Amino acid sequence: MKRLSITIGIFAGLLSWAETPKANLDSFRKEIGPVLKAACVGCHGPEKQKAKFRVDTLDPDLLKGKDVSWWLEVQGVLTNGEMPPPDSEVKLADADRVKVIDWLAGEIRAASEARRAEGGYSTFRRMTRYEYKYAMQDLLWLPHDFSRDLPPETSSEDGFKNSSDMLQMTAVQFAQYRAQARRALELATVRGDRPAPVYYGLSMRGFTERFEAKYAAAVQRTRQKVLDEGLSVEEVLKAEKEKFSRNPGGSHFKDLVTGQGVRTKWAYHGAKYAWKPTDQRPEVPAVSPDVLVIPANQKFIIDVGDGLPDTGLMRVRIRAARESAEGKHLPTLRLHFGNQGSNDSRVSVEVGGHDLTIDAPPGKPRFYQWDVPLTEIPRNAFRHIQKLGQLPNPAEFIELRNTSSTPVGLVIDYVEVIAPVLEEWPPESHKRIFHQRKDADEPEYAREVLERFMARAWRRPFSEAEVNQKLALYTKLRPQCVDFQEAMVEVLASVLASPKFLYLVRVGAEDAKPEPRVTDLELATRLSFFLWSSTPDDELLQLAQAGKLSDAKVLEQQARRLLADPRAGRFARHYTRQWLGMEQLDFVKIDAKAHGKTDPLLLEAMKQEPVALFGEMLRANRPVTEFLHSDYVLVNDRLARHYGVPEVYGDQFRKVKLPAEIKRGGLLTSAGLLVMNSDGKDSHPLKRGIWLLENLLHDPPPPPPPAVPEIDLADPEILKMTLKQRMEDHRSDPACFSCHSKIDPWGIAFENFDALGQWRDKIGDEPVDAASVLFNKDELRGMTGLKDYLLANRQDQFARAMAHKMAAYALGRPLTFGDHAEVDRITAALRQRGDGLADLVFLIVKSDLFQLK
Amino acid sequence: MNMNLSSLDRRKFLRGAGVALALPWLESFAPVARAASKPKQRKRLACFYLPDGVPMPLEKDPAFKDWSWFPHGGRKDFKLTKCMETLAPLRDELTVFSGLSNPALRRVHGHANADQFITAADTGADGDYHNSISLDQVFAAHTGEHTRHASLVMSTDGGTGSPRGAHTLSYNAQGRPIPAEHKPKRIFDMLFVKSGPDAARRLALSQSALDDLLEDARSLNRSLSKRDQETLAEYLQSVRDTEVRVAKAKRWLNIPLPKVDTDHLKLDVTPEDPRNFLRTMYELIYLAFKTDTTRVATYQLGRENGVGVSDYLARAVGFKAAHWLTHEVKKPGGYKNFGVYCRFINEELGRFASRLKATPEPGGEGNMLDHTALLFGSASSAFHLSRNYPLLLIGGRKLGFKHGQYLKYGQGNQKHQATAGIATDAGWRGEMQFSELPTAHLYLTMLHKLGVEAKSFAGSTETLSEV
Repeated sequence: MKRLSITIGIFAGLLSWAETPKANLDSFRKEIGPVLKAACVGCHGPEKQKAKFRVDTLDPDLLKGKDVSWWLEVQGVLTNGEMPPPDSEVKLADADRVKVIDWLAGEIRAASEARRAEGGYSTFRRMTRYEYKYAMQDLLWLPHDFSRDLPPETSSEDGFKNSSDMLQMTAVQFAQYRAQARRALELATVRGDRPAPVYYGLSMRGFTERFEAKYAAAVQRTRQKVLDEGLSVEEVLKAEKEKFSRNPGGSHFKDLVTGQGVRTKWAYHGAKYAWKPTDQRPEVPAVSPDVLVIPANQKFIIDVGDGLPDTGLMRVRIRAARESAEGKHLPTLRLHFGNQGSNDSRVSVEVGGHDLTIDAPPGKPRFYQWDVPLTEIPRNAFRHIQKLGQLPNPAEFIELRNTSSTPVGLVIDYVEVIAPVLEEWPPESHKRIFHQRKDADEPEYAREVLERFMARAWRRPFSEAEVNQKLALYTKLRPQCVDFQEAMVEVLASVLASPKFLYLVRVGAEDAKPEPRVTDLELATRLSFFLWSSTPDDELLQLAQAGKLSDAKVLEQQARRLLADPRAGRFARHYTRQWLGMEQLDFVKIDAKAHGKTDPLLLEAMKQEPVALFGEMLRANRPVTEFLHSDYVLVNDRLARHYGVPEVYGDQFRKVKLPAEIKRGGLLTSAGLLVMNSDGKDSHPLKRGIWLLENLLHDPPPPPPPAVPEIDLADPEILKMTLKQRMEDHRSDPACFSCHSKIDPWGIAFENFDALGQWRDKIGDEPVDAASVLFNKDELRGMTGLKDYLLANRQDQFARAMAHKMAAYALGRPLTFGDHAEVDRITAALRQRGDGLADLVFLIVKSDLFQLK
Repeated sequence: MNMNLSSLDRRKFLRGAGVALALPWLESFAPVARAASKPKQRKRLACFYLPDGVPMPLEKDPAFKDWSWFPHGGRKDFKLTKCMETLAPLRDELTVFSGLSNPALRRVHGHANADQFITAADTGADGDYHNSISLDQVFAAHTGEHTRHASLVMSTDGGTGSPRGAHTLSYNAQGRPIPAEHKPKRIFDMLFVKSGPDAARRLALSQSALDDLLEDARSLNRSLSKRDQETLAEYLQSVRDTEVRVAKAKRWLNIPLPKVDTDHLKLDVTPEDPRNFLRTMYELIYLAFKTDTTRVATYQLGRENGVGVSDYLARAVGFKAAHWLTHEVKKPGGYKNFGVYCRFINEELGRFASRLKATPEPGGEGNMLDHTALLFGSASSAFHLSRNYPLLLIGGRKLGFKHGQYLKYGQGNQKHQATAGIATDAGWRGEMQFSELPTAHLYLTMLHKLGVEAKSFAGSTETLSEV
């Protein structure tokens, strides 16, 4: 908390600090002091201390004094025109205002540079939970998530999870790192012969024949009739009184020739519906008119019994097509996996990682597929214990769900399941650790394996002493282990549980002289953890080792390369979510009474939109001001419907130009963020105002003072008021005024958006009142007014906030006053270059912030 | 010790054993453990689960008087029914609870709820599944370092079961199920016969790896600034804490196993001989407690919904299967039959508690029951109804538990909800008519009495002052 420190008064201060070499106290005395005295001291001086603040006691020496944070506040309110208040008798001439702002800017820069050397927070930290996940995946060539049992991180004040001051280590966590390292290495390495895969090849004709003998017979009869008597389908159906022709509504088998349909069936007990795998891959049948139809929001269960192996990759292939060629909406399909042990004991979890968009036209199905690591999904614990057919039931099932947000169906005629899928043996993950080598004796081979592994895991060349130490461990463990591989897994696990893997970023020789600049290798690690949330790849490490990475040109090239890689999606995802505080969105419970049941697809889309927008702007190097307003949105079909944007088909996010009548664009009107800053039932202007100030403008309001009076909702007078009136009433309390007058008006401007982020013109029967007056008397007329105002008056502040937030994330530490000047420089350069989001990344990477220790 | 290490299949060992009887060094570490010194008083906890609820005849039903599980009467003057009277000798050592349940699951089918009995987590009804640490494991993390085994996890059906169909009451810090042991012989062997040669090998491997990691940390430390050394100090401390753990675990290897008289034990008994099976399982807990081999135990008497060997327990009193009794309550004599079964369950529980009561506390005051809290209950009451859990707390006077009470929590149905069931079989889906308190309030209260200074349990920060 900021507290007014009682230091020597301005004028006394002048005398005592006159000899300070850099602080420009001379101009303060001559020009600035008198201006402040005339404009501010009336309310913030010995007589009155509005907002508990006195300007006359501030130490004008920013280099050595303790009042820097107050001076930053002064700079803020003067720059934003908030002080003196427009309705006060005191006026501050523009020339004087500029004079003070300029003096402050110069002093702040000098002070910031002087303090830089003192250092604030270090960037030395351990990996975050998600960085650990990606680093292990990239290093070991495995799709698994080894971070799931690690404790969640605490966010810094700025909302970042990679902040060095927040990342702790405990014995519990240490135990997890050790256990996960061993588990990961055991999964990455293999023994013995290539395991034989099992196959399920299921034609939908086979399904119907097996479970619906009656139906199959009927279909056969009808077909025969069509052939024998040369009848048309219509005639046959008429003859059969449309017995089987009704669309059963749910998932159903259908004969596309006769149009006959029958509902699918499944029950868990007795293994009646369980399929047995084969050890030969069944021949893929020709495309068949006997299909399964899954209408929108319906599902289909394939019981695979207990035949799937414990480990390895499961591939689920389906041959599918759209049910109808009409319309432009394409169906999407989601993969679930689960089991049902007994009545009421059932689990079913999304495992495919992404939905498939089925775009094959009717009659021309094609194959689509998912790959799922079997160790990563909930398996039935009764396998190997119970026999198939017994209760509790050891079987497992695959569930196909049509998740289309519009009523479009899809048809499937063949499903194939293969597990484990092995492209090669031993797999790549194994070969990356245990490379092929002829006739090596064990200790020699151990050294080679270790050297290759350590260089990649520790992101730098190792020293001779380091390898020898690990080899000594190997020598010690080898006699206690069954074979070479087991001993090596133990030793490699200690490479991954080592602080040299887990901690970023200090690398270099122990006795190296302290250098102000980070080494090339440190730069490589910083860069890859910034843009990939993971360990550097070989190219980056090689450039660093060759000492080329610190070359500004090479560095920017590499940053461009990293951004062009799919792994940069992690940056968009994690940075955007942390910057905007989107974790809150996971906890919002939308009131079902007020808004009905929430569509999970809509919620998913809401969570994705800001990430997609960031990703697109990064890709196209769009100006950061488009976060405040843009004439386009990033939407998929479901979200487009929520916004009223027409002609969007499919669940993929894409850039869509907005029709003039739709008042969206940028982050302020992004539904997920509006939902997040509601209380689930109605809008929450206070949350929205604070969020705008904190997350977008980096101008957090002070915390509420102790003992703030609560709004008394039992008071009938208060109950009668609208929300806006209630806030105004609360503001009239002097204890609340100083803060709320700076928050509420911002939030009120969002009032045209309800708790679901939908546009509204009325609240109940009353028209929405979204007009508000800022502290400095500028007026905001709803969302359009707010955007106009921000673009007209706060672009610099927003650009600086962006630079500040992204730099804090890039460094993995909170920024301090010592970083102020450098952030200013980045901001100025960003504005000069045209505000491009990718440019911001390059500016940060090349800045002293990023390159100095 | 002489062991042939290379002949062991370590993977098999890790999968099979050492899970039900979690050794302290394999268990999760409690943050409080570092500061803990050996307390003079031994504090123990055992939790028991009865599946499928209890007899809850409507008030107008003739069976109401004798066969309702809940007592009749008030807080102090309550009267145990025939269903419960086998516990009468312990009346002053026990508390009966009504009006407690898990708020998240009050409209979820009763058969899906055993998983959260002592975790109080929102385990849901279908789809994705999450659980959290169980009461016994929180306590085990606190007290486990004083005993050879941090906790003992048992069930009649064994293993983990499936989500919403648990075969274990115990869940670790990550909310993953700890497989339960179900074979008396195996449990006995692990407790009193062998400590597993692989344990020694694992400890040796662990020791070497820790030394190596300490060296990594030290060499890294030398290249760091003073400020960064402070950051790394946490890592160094974690390694040292772990070393202390390993050293303690190693110490157990050299302490001889307690000698236990086995003449009275039928270690090859199965649930097909239900009375003796139950008695043996209880006796194993008794022996583990008496020898201070562990201070924490859970035992799930049966899985929900029948379909398992635990369903045979009803054969002890002449019925075919236990789960079926709950479905046939409305047939003539149905409540009585179900009540007779529960009476038997209570009788064996009482027998176990009485045995603790008859044994002087080793090296302490009073008897063993005075220092042991026994929690018994189910996660449903009337037919599939996930509200008003039937709960019993027995023993632990010297831990500060007040007994001889019938505590009715919640509002709006003081008399009715505590004693009578629901009129319709679909009642479990119905709206909540009355308010109840979360079970987590009771569990947090228990943790405090057991000496765990937890601020919350399952997100709940409140306690019950009457307990």
